[in-house]
Amino acid sequence: MNQEHDAGPGRSGVSRRNFLGGGLVAAAVTPLLTGQAEAKAAAAPTVDGVAQVTVRAAVNGSPVTVRVDPRATLLDTLRERLDLKGTKKGCDRGQCGACTVHVDGRRVLSCLTLAATTTGREVTTIEGLADGDRLHPMQQAFVEHDGLQCGFCTPGQIMSAVAMVDDEGGADSDDEIRERMSGNICRCSAYPRIVDAIRDAQQVMR
Amino acid sequence: MPRSQVGRDTDRVDGRLKVTGAAEYSGDYRAADLAHAHLVTSTIARGTITSIDPAAALASPGVLRVYAAPESRLALYEVTGQAAGFTENYLPLKSDVVRFHGQAVAMVVAETPEQARDAAALVTVTYDAQPPRTSIADEPHVPAGPTISGAPSSLEILAPGVGSIDAALAASDVVVEAEFHQNVQHHVGMEPHAILAVWDGDQVTIHAGAQIPGPYALAMAQRLGILPQSVRLITRYVGGGFGARVVLWSDTPLAAAAARELGRPVRLVLTREQMFTLTGHRSHLTQTVRLGASRQGVLNAVSHRSVAERPTTIAFTMTPAHSTSDALYRTPNLHVDAQVAVLDIPGSRAMRGPNEAPGAFALETAMDELAVATGVDPVTLRLRNQATAHPATGLPWSSKHLDECYRLGAERFGWAGRSATPRTRVDGQWLYGTGMATAIYPAHRRAGVVARVRLLDDDTAVVSTATSDLGTGSATMVAISGADALGIPVQRVTPEIGDTLLPPGAPAVGSSGTHATVPMVVDAARNVIAELKRLAVTADRSPWHGAAVEDLRYERGILHGLGHSLTFGRLLTTIGSPGIYKESAPGGQPVPGYVHHSFGAHFCEVRVNRFTGETRVTRFTTVADVGRVINAKAARSQLVGGVIFGIGHALLEENHLELDTGRLASSTLADYLVPVNADVPDIDVVMLDRPDPVLTGPLGDGSEDVGTGSLGARGLGEIGTVGSAAAIGNAVYNATGIRVRDVPITLDKLIDHL
Repeated sequence: MNQEHDAGPGRSGVSRRNFLGGGLVAAAVTPLLTGQAEAKAAAAPTVDGVAQVTVRAAVNGSPVTVRVDPRATLLDTLRERLDLKGTKKGCDRGQCGACTVHVDGRRVLSCLTLAATTTGREVTTIEGLADGDRLHPMQQAFVEHDGLQCGFCTPGQIMSAVAMVDDEGGADSDDEIRERMSGNICRCSAYPRIVDAIRDAQQVMR
Repeated sequence: MPRSQVGRDTDRVDGRLKVTGAAEYSGDYRAADLAHAHLVTSTIARGTITSIDPAAALASPGVLRVYAAPESRLALYEVTGQAAGFTENYLPLKSDVVRFHGQAVAMVVAETPEQARDAAALVTVTYDAQPPRTSIADEPHVPAGPTISGAPSSLEILAPGVGSIDAALAASDVVVEAEFHQNVQHHVGMEPHAILAVWDGDQVTIHAGAQIPGPYALAMAQRLGILPQSVRLITRYVGGGFGARVVLWSDTPLAAAAARELGRPVRLVLTREQMFTLTGHRSHLTQTVRLGASRQGVLNAVSHRSVAERPTTIAFTMTPAHSTSDALYRTPNLHVDAQVAVLDIPGSRAMRGPNEAPGAFALETAMDELAVATGVDPVTLRLRNQATAHPATGLPWSSKHLDECYRLGAERFGWAGRSATPRTRVDGQWLYGTGMATAIYPAHRRAGVVARVRLLDDDTAVVSTATSDLGTGSATMVAISGADALGIPVQRVTPEIGDTLLPPGAPAVGSSGTHATVPMVVDAARNVIAELKRLAVTADRSPWHGAAVEDLRYERGILHGLGHSLTFGRLLTTIGSPGIYKESAPGGQPVPGYVHHSFGAHFCEVRVNRFTGETRVTRFTTVADVGRVINAKAARSQLVGGVIFGIGHALLEENHLELDTGRLASSTLADYLVPVNADVPDIDVVMLDRPDPVLTGPLGDGSEDVGTGSLGARGLGEIGTVGSAAAIGNAVYNATGIRVRDVPITLDKLIDHL
């Protein structure tokens, strides 16, 4: 994981200083964004009359600087500005879990997270989970157990499951997996196979 | 030596793309100079628009257009002929008429999605509202008309000397009569509908989720007033279908027409709320089932009547008795009748097991009531009434192993020890009960499907057909079928689907994709093997140059003959060809003289809380007779998903239509409840794997060059959903003694009687 995390704030919520685009910014920030969006943002401190905020975060291990509308969600910023489209918008109001990503290792709903609150934090999306060509054990288990059908909720399911194991210590029973994965809706209803996948992946991850 | 993967567990060919976020759904595509659209929807159910004020929206940052009904700048046209069956009957935004609550009345196009959404909220609309027609009980009932497959919606078959179905019922020893209700249900695919439309001259490329790519594109061409070949539809990854992506709704034509008028690519993504009114639902429904039987439970009369909604904007005939009461049991007297009431309601259309899921809930609940009334065990009752010929037509089935489903299911589930008396199993605060029901779903071969098989000089093959993979695993099915036909490993076959540039593919509807596709893949493989042999004897550099085709035999990717053996890739390399391809003949109808269905039996256990009425499904076993199984892994997943759809039907899902406003009350996933992981136990699914020898053509005897191991399959997308809700309701009765005929079975319907 990115070493910049050490310079960032603790994991206990979002500080006002961070939200205001302030001081606890990681060192060695390299703008990843080029082209039109970045040029516009650099030229205009306000867009449509709204003062933009600068977000400096580590996204999938790489430092990212992006100016966004303070109202922009992390989900829309990932998808529309950073071209990370693996994170899905299923409802845009925190009811389906398809947009689940990690912020400092915790699972969050990116549709209910303002991008501006992620400065100094590590954001991990489904694109950042595999180690090159080697799938994360959770991804591998979802393929092997067929824990997916249409695949649209799958990035959210996997991000949720990884954090459930890594960040929250995992589940001791199938029923506990079911309970703790119930924020992620799968209309194809791969649920039993998702439970199988998580049970197996948890063994490898622990 | 490669062994065939047919019937084994095969990982999805696109699994890796889906778990890494690399699979691109319609809303993930981008284009240069892209503009973003957002819809404004009506807040009345019936009436006319008196004014739309776009000024504030137009003055909003980044806004390029505000299209407002009646809109002259968008060029949209009527759809006629066969394609009209796949779309709505009005032109979106073209008139001031409001036909349902939640109809598109304006569309904002802006530089960013946020600007479009923000400006859409600034559009003000005034209406001249009329009282909407909203009650299926009170509005006039009219005959539903024939089903999509052409079967009559009304049918009466009486034994000689019997004057009427009522007389047959009156003459029966035991009569069960029950009325069933269910509210509006929604498909709720996880991917909201998203469209990207990119024009190049008079050609348009559309990225959109579509279950029937060919007819969808054809309807689209007519809607836009252009030639069919001017529309290319790409639908590679689709975030769930369940029926909602069959129809060309208003969203796709609006995005494409705006892109044409604006001269820029346009993307339109519906909000979750808009999905509830703009992309269809399952009609709410009232059903009456009457069964007459002997004291031993032998049926003498079956009557099944229904009343469903008929929206003004789209024709769909809801016939819940079709393939349930008119097909499942032997009876000398049969009467089915489907009526509809015209309502001012958002368009309703097929949803997973469109007729059969609600129909089987009614019939199979009534059968359970008959079991109670006669004291005959529910499994015995069904075996006693099993039909050996299709009751409505008298034709035999191409393949039917339903009795085995009952017996195997009962054994796996442990049905034998069941107490038929309700409320006899109590554990703490929980009442336990078990129930069962039958599943049946028609298998229709779809005409006109074509597959193409291409052999490449690197010993791989490409199998192409413009079907759609909604999560069903059809891409993997195409690969497995192609690999079996060519006798090579699945890893050496690349499936190509989801693009109307490919040969016309099977509709991903009606559990028909697999049995419509497999024979065409086999046929194309047969043709390309013949072409390979022809090349082998005619090409100058071939070792078989000048030989006779009969001297050659193709086996497992290798041509043998006259002392030579070459893989097809090696032969192609030798003769300097990068690859050869052949298409299948277009698929035809199955041989006449048979009816085709898949069957199944569900067994389930529930527990109901004695104090709160909370119902939990604790065990579920389903045995399915679905013909040859192509990919056991994906097939099991789809059947399990179908059963869980039934859990939603039985316990969770409903949307109330507000009678005074015509508004569907729920529009989010917090108030329209679908099953989540904690609602679902492990589900035991078994497939009999008995090939259907008729539906997809002769199964082959192994003497051909081409592998025929994938023939004999039937589709299975819907069979798990049919009957599963009834099994749950019947288990609730066994647990509590309370019969709930109004689904979903929520605790308020139980708590006063516990």
